[in-house]
Amino acid sequence: MISDRIRRSVRSELHSSRLAQVGLALVVVIVLMATLAPFIVPHHPEAQQVGTGDTEDRTNLPPIGFSTEHIQTTPDGQTEIVREGSLEHPMGTNTRGQDVFSRFVYGARVSLLVGLLGAGIATVLGVPYGLAAGYFGGRTDDALMRGADVMLAFPSLVLAIALVGVFRDSGFHTTGLPDPFVYAARHDILGWVIPRSDHVASMPSSVTFPVTVTLVVALVNWVWFARVARGEAISIRQQEYVKAAKSIGASHLTILRQHVLPNSLTPIIVLATIQVAAIILLESALSYLGFSGTTLTWGQDIARGQSDQRSQWWIATMPGLGIVFAVIGVNLIGDWLRDALDPSIEGEGGV
Amino acid sequence: MGLGKFLVKRTLQGLFVIWGVVTVVFLLRHLTPGNPVNTLLPPEASQEQRELFAERLGLNDPVHIQYYDYLVGVAQGDFGVSMATGRPASELILIRLPATIELAVAATVVAVVIAIPLGVISARRRHEPSDYGATIFSLVGISTPNFWLGVMLIIFVAVQFGPLPTGGRGPSFVDAMIATLTQGQFRDGGIVEWGRYILLPAITLGTYFTALLTRLTRSGMVDEIGKAYVKATRAKGLPETLVLYKHVLRNTLIPIITVLGLQLGTLIGGAVITEEVFAWPGLGRFLIHSIYQRDWVLIQGTIIVIGVGFVIVNIVVDALYVYLNPKVDLE
Repeated sequence: MISDRIRRSVRSELHSSRLAQVGLALVVVIVLMATLAPFIVPHHPEAQQVGTGDTEDRTNLPPIGFSTEHIQTTPDGQTEIVREGSLEHPMGTNTRGQDVFSRFVYGARVSLLVGLLGAGIATVLGVPYGLAAGYFGGRTDDALMRGADVMLAFPSLVLAIALVGVFRDSGFHTTGLPDPFVYAARHDILGWVIPRSDHVASMPSSVTFPVTVTLVVALVNWVWFARVARGEAISIRQQEYVKAAKSIGASHLTILRQHVLPNSLTPIIVLATIQVAAIILLESALSYLGFSGTTLTWGQDIARGQSDQRSQWWIATMPGLGIVFAVIGVNLIGDWLRDALDPSIEGEGGV
Repeated sequence: MGLGKFLVKRTLQGLFVIWGVVTVVFLLRHLTPGNPVNTLLPPEASQEQRELFAERLGLNDPVHIQYYDYLVGVAQGDFGVSMATGRPASELILIRLPATIELAVAATVVAVVIAIPLGVISARRRHEPSDYGATIFSLVGISTPNFWLGVMLIIFVAVQFGPLPTGGRGPSFVDAMIATLTQGQFRDGGIVEWGRYILLPAITLGTYFTALLTRLTRSGMVDEIGKAYVKATRAKGLPETLVLYKHVLRNTLIPIITVLGLQLGTLIGGAVITEEVFAWPGLGRFLIHSIYQRDWVLIQGTIIVIGVGFVIVNIVVDALYVYLNPKVDLE
């Protein structure tokens, strides 16, 4: 399905575009970080260290290279306490003494999973719908697309919030996806392959995956896929090869599957890439608002950082940087694919 | 087809979409699991009280009757009565509308004022440092979640510098203008106080659009500058500024307006979350809090009002489009 020509143009675009290289590098780093999280993080992302009795208070430590000062009043008078960031907590800790860096790394998992699965579900829902509308045209098209247009009358975040409202009363559905590395480390499988196995075994055994939110973002975004697929189908159905296939008696399903779908894949792939970025942003907004059901996401940590204490700037800053880098990376890959796959889209004004 | 006829047609289409929105919103509530009576009444309420309450909310009628009643109500501007407070939903919603409109307009103004000159400069000095700067700015701006930007502005700007508040809304624009113009009052209740409150939320909401507009203006101008008419206007000795802003920009505006029209949903969705970040008392924050309280009457009403606003602004954008480009085929 992928011709040599396409492969070549994707590769040559990557060679010539610095931004495409940056995007690819960012996404590779984030994907590796999310996958290998148990090996990377220095602490359990949920472990709290609030000073009680004989345990040391590790709340609100600044990131490495920064220090905080505050004045503590004791019966003996006032002492100024200076705390310095250290390598043990490279991005500092939050008000519960949780390691911000560990949460940053684990937060990438939820964002990427929701982004990829959400865009995948939206593609599966939208593409057949749009292809059918465009291919059959006429009344079918009208009926199908009028319904879809109503979806577009809602701003996506508003529609997402409304859907969350619907699903909320049955509880946010989440499921634990087991972490294969932690499982292996705990059961001593491949012990000689997995480094730091004691450390890995102490990590969370599963990732809380927000099912409800993933469905909501897919339901909000499928319409875009339907529109793009419809546009493609309309132009493809007039092609000679489709007429030829019809004349030899191919069924509609065969034509759709063997001719229309493969020839409309390019813009769908570009759209799907851009949608991953859009869905990461949407998911982070929903979890910022507390409509997610998971506690370990970038959006949720930003909300905590805002409400907890405003002088601890790093708590809200770090997860936001995660979102920005992930979205920039995915967007740059989208630009790269668009420039490489679709020469008809005008780039920098020609010449 | 004349402009008038075109507007009539678009309005009819808009009404159809609004009917769709009302229907979807009605269905959403009926898909919601759980009996609203149980959510609203305390657990110790008697069976009789429950039945009376259900009767009063019209929950005992068949669904199609409820739907009909709801449609008729909405058509008359009656969204029902807030389940939590017992006050008319339309009243509660309309009070909050001006704050949201003010914020959206301010954000658009911020975006246009910054983005258009930035895009023009960037297109003029292609492949110079200022162009790369503008390109990177627009890439980062498009990829930044606006609620995080808002939180960052609160932490790094509002908390550090006294005059900018971390949230809330000052006087309304109209009140502030009146106070400033009639009493010469700038600070207390005047236009300066209005500006102090709206500045950070407007930047938060406007950044995405600033980035997008910069990008569009730049690529549109680059396309347009190469055309023959530009050479002709230059040849007749028109100053460069006039060539760029009067001739080239006008032709660039058409694709810009198209994309902006498509992005209106992002503006409204962005307003919802920006309001939540800055405790700005508009429709978005109201919607979010209605969801927290499960007050479905308010949720439905707010979504319908947002949908109607969306449709109206879309029609306005279309009309603007026609005005800017008389060649546009109104079919």
